[in-house]
Amino acid sequence: MTALRAPFTALALRQVVFCVAGVVSAAVILAVPAILPALGALVVWATGATSDRPVAPLFLVLLPLTLVLLVVLAAPLGRGLSRVHRGLADRLLGVRVDGPPARRSLVSDGPGWRAVAYGLLKVPLAIPEGYGAFCYVFGVVNLSYPVWWPLFRNHPPGTTLGPVHALTPFGTLDTRTFGGTFLIAAAGLGMLLVAPWLMRAGIAMDVAAMRRLLGPRGLAERVRELQVSRARAIDDAAAMMRRLERDLHDGAQIRLATLAMNLGMAAEKLGAEGPPPDLAQARELVALAHRGAKDALADLRDLVRGIHPPVLDNGLGDALATLASSSAIPVEVEVSLPSRPAPAIETIAYFCAAELLANAAKHSRAGRIGLGVSGSGAHLTVTVSDDGAGGADPDGPGLSGLARRIAVVDGRMRVFSPAGGPTLVSIELPTHV
Amino acid sequence: MRVVIAEDAAMMREGLVRLLTDRGFEVCAAVADAAALRVAVAEMVPDVAIVDIRMPPTHTDEGLRAALDIRRDHPGVGVLVFSQYVETRYAARLLADRPAGVGYLLKDRVADVADFVDALTRVASGGTALDPEVVGHLMRAGRDTAGLGSLTPREREVLSLMAEGRSNAGIAGALAITPGVVEKHVANIFAKLGLPSSDSDNRRVLAVLRHVGG
Repeated sequence: MTALRAPFTALALRQVVFCVAGVVSAAVILAVPAILPALGALVVWATGATSDRPVAPLFLVLLPLTLVLLVVLAAPLGRGLSRVHRGLADRLLGVRVDGPPARRSLVSDGPGWRAVAYGLLKVPLAIPEGYGAFCYVFGVVNLSYPVWWPLFRNHPPGTTLGPVHALTPFGTLDTRTFGGTFLIAAAGLGMLLVAPWLMRAGIAMDVAAMRRLLGPRGLAERVRELQVSRARAIDDAAAMMRRLERDLHDGAQIRLATLAMNLGMAAEKLGAEGPPPDLAQARELVALAHRGAKDALADLRDLVRGIHPPVLDNGLGDALATLASSSAIPVEVEVSLPSRPAPAIETIAYFCAAELLANAAKHSRAGRIGLGVSGSGAHLTVTVSDDGAGGADPDGPGLSGLARRIAVVDGRMRVFSPAGGPTLVSIELPTHV
Repeated sequence: MRVVIAEDAAMMREGLVRLLTDRGFEVCAAVADAAALRVAVAEMVPDVAIVDIRMPPTHTDEGLRAALDIRRDHPGVGVLVFSQYVETRYAARLLADRPAGVGYLLKDRVADVADFVDALTRVASGGTALDPEVVGHLMRAGRDTAGLGSLTPREREVLSLMAEGRSNAGIAGALAITPGVVEKHVANIFAKLGLPSSDSDNRRVLAVLRHVGG
């Protein structure tokens, strides 16, 4: 059944688009070495340099110029190509390939040259992809022949007409009869059923090549990445300590100092012994101190929850349900995890969810929020969606800070938030550090 | 006695106003940041200003900087720096040019109303008030280097109270001994440390602090 349904899924359509795009980029890649000298020739011709000089010396100039241009431009072009293909794979196939590290110099750009290698490899890779897409598109076209027949073949009886042609992988099929169109339709159906598997095979090879050639590679690069994320982790830890200090300094500490002051004053009003000199004021001060003590407790409770919510010890499910219940906007929570992730990951997931909920409550003007955690083996995904105004900026301070923090554990964030909404933020984390 | 208060936490500020008014001080301004403090001191010229170290906008040490400016521009105004943490370095900066009319206390000290009011009065009338925490730091630091090890425990107590800025009478009250006994202890301390003896409380504080390395 799955095999029969395969051509009629949204994924199949996206695969077709990806394959067609692959063929187009292969054609462009093939054309680049031709386009550059052609442009050069055009410039020479346009400036009139050819009019009174022989052509051969011109080529002697143009050929090395083209080669130099190709060498200089190859890596940046490769990077552009890499970006486009990673984007296509991400959007159409849901396959995420990390970008290579930023360029350090123009010529010795390893990742850029690897992207060029991918571009060259793309030409043969595009063949099975293009074949699959061809089968899919012409499968649909062929399948529709019986529908078109009565619309176009309505000439008066006795008219002699040429045969109708249909393209198949094994050459053209011709027919002059309505019955023949059903044969074409059957061939189309066959092509349509085979197409997804052809495309899948082509795409699998393509994705493997992408991961190998377009992603970050090498220990050195990984070390650099880890250095950056370690620096972030240290910064975050320091910032967290500063925030804690500030919260304690401006919160509980000042409340307790004021409370001590009020109690000190109350003690004076009560006097050391005998009847109190000013009972009414003493009562008022004690009441003030009592309120202060309760406020200080509430402050400390909030602070403790901000450090590590105790309910998190029972697992993400309980913790997120508690979090959701304190949201001003109704939140639907759905947690399905096969096993408990590492405590550090649970904490990160919890604070991501808390921050995203707070963001949604602050900016989205949403009526409902969905909060989901799902996991499969090595990864878990936290998604927060709302039906609000959208327009969340992944590069804004809030979301980029979140992305930075989860990058420390190799987590990834994706934000879909078109203006007008809805918003979907998904965060993928490893289940173990 | 006229007081200006600079404290950004509203409840602490109001509590201080209430406490001081209750104790017969005239609070002529209670402000929340260093800029307003400078203006208030210039306008009111109070006897003493109570200054929180950490205030808006930067929440670092603008209070301390304002306190140093006030001490420079208005030598007659006592400055009591009031903070939730004590830094020996800050105390040294405050005391640097002249240890008169200056104090540095933890906010916790306000819980002992009588002591706090006493310290404030001392600062307003040109004396000093150093937090026991700061003094404790200095005493510990000076134990090995400044010969404090040769003092008896009682003498160390007296020295600490002296460094806080208390008068002989104040020390006598705090330790429940007679002023005569205090005087004897003080003479012993100065002799043991090899310091020139001095009658003025401020000069005594300075001598002691210099000696232990403040």
